[in-house]
Amino acid sequence: MFGIDYITNNNGWAMAVVGATTVFVGLAVLSFVISQVHKLLDAWENRTKDNAVAAERPTKKAPARQEQRLPTVSELCSIYRPLVEQLQEPFLLTQLFEKSKEMDLPHPHLSIKSLQEADVLVARGDGTFTWNQQKAL
Amino acid sequence: MIDLFYQFIVNTGYYLADYRHVIMIIVGCVFLYLGTAKKFEPLLLVPIGFGILVGNVPFFKGFGLGIYEDNSVLHYLYFGVRTGVYPSIVFLGLGAMTDFSSLLSNPKLMLLGAAAQMGIYFTLLGALFFGFLPKEAASIAIIGGADGPTSIFLTAKLAPHLIGPIAIAAYSYMALIPVIQPPIMKLLTSREERLIRMPPGREVSRKERVIFPVVGVLLCCFLAPTALPLLGMLFLGNFLKECGVVNRLAGTAQSAIIDTATIFLGFTVGASTQADVFLTPKSLGIFFLGAVAFSIATASGVIFAKIMNFFLKEKINPLLGAAGVSAVPGSAREVHLMGLKEDRTNFLLMHGMACNSSGVIGSAICAGILWSFFI
Repeated sequence: MFGIDYITNNNGWAMAVVGATTVFVGLAVLSFVISQVHKLLDAWENRTKDNAVAAERPTKKAPARQEQRLPTVSELCSIYRPLVEQLQEPFLLTQLFEKSKEMDLPHPHLSIKSLQEADVLVARGDGTFTWNQQKAL
Repeated sequence: MIDLFYQFIVNTGYYLADYRHVIMIIVGCVFLYLGTAKKFEPLLLVPIGFGILVGNVPFFKGFGLGIYEDNSVLHYLYFGVRTGVYPSIVFLGLGAMTDFSSLLSNPKLMLLGAAAQMGIYFTLLGALFFGFLPKEAASIAIIGGADGPTSIFLTAKLAPHLIGPIAIAAYSYMALIPVIQPPIMKLLTSREERLIRMPPGREVSRKERVIFPVVGVLLCCFLAPTALPLLGMLFLGNFLKECGVVNRLAGTAQSAIIDTATIFLGFTVGASTQADVFLTPKSLGIFFLGAVAFSIATASGVIFAKIMNFFLKEKINPLLGAAGVSAVPGSAREVHLMGLKEDRTNFLLMHGMACNSSGVIGSAICAGILWSFFI
């Protein structure tokens, strides 16, 4: 069997129309979507940039940036005294440093150095230190 | 002793050969000649041509030698064709080798890839008209997609007994693009149209190229899930290439993997053209309809580009429609050469590649659609 009837009997016309339409629609949709991708990406990147710029720009209400100020010696003494009391005198500076790290105190190196310079922490000459209560008052 | 000698003689190919084997061996030699001397698609024609020679050495049936005999080595190698494994692997490599930037920079060219698939559906009607069974007609029609692996994949699913003639027809016409397409392009376009210049595409970002395979696989495979084995692998390969973090995998996919699959695919398809299976009136019909499919595909792409020009401010060079068939990169090259013939400074290659790559996607979708009609 062959001819137009054979095409009709085997759904040939329907298959051709449905197939052609489907591939056209599919590629048209894909074409449309990929034509929008770069626009979406641009919009997204501009948004990200805008956010970054906005974050950098200081607002009127935003508090002025706090200066990273080291506490005074008397403040440091009040912070570090409880730590020293937990250590047996004489103690090593590394022990005090570890204690300050455990307590998550800011700038432990600088703080201990300041206490040393203020003679609150007194070197004994054998690598150990003691707490000078008089200086700490 | 004479008996033994006689037994030996009657088992040799010289004794068993008939005119059909000779014809097929000549066909194999022509393929090898076209591939090596004329450099027509050598990556395909050389393994196929050699496969035709091997497949048409006459042998005594029952020795487990032939490709259609159980437990033969060729039979095992042919497994990848029968199941559609090789075409899928080829698509993986193809994806890893394809740069979709030109398509992404000018997405409307994708419609030309869709238009060129009309050859498939016209041929489906033609094959039914001439009395082929519906599944055979669908397998013949896919030749119009001008995509060898897709043709083999669909035929393996619908009409495995026709793999040989359909694969040979598809690859022959792909190799004959320089002969088939230019007259059709010239016939359907005026000189003014052929002189139309295409603006250079915009620069495509890496993000776009990474997103495309993900969007592509989801949109296309949700539409035609039966195209998954082809499109899934195509877009996976492309994602490997574009994501930039698995360069080793992408490199392997675009070299060793696709080369291995191409060798076995070409060789076993060639070997499947055993004279007694291949030389039938049906094969002649397939070759005729394949030529029709390919010609209509080329023409419909060109005509659709001309129709698009009625609606577009920025005109498209209608030659690009011919590149909507998925013969990568042969048809894009032909479009480019024809454009150069008219104007030495009109470069259409990258635009042609955009249509070509959309043709690959389009023909794989068509294969999925046709397969789904018969599930």
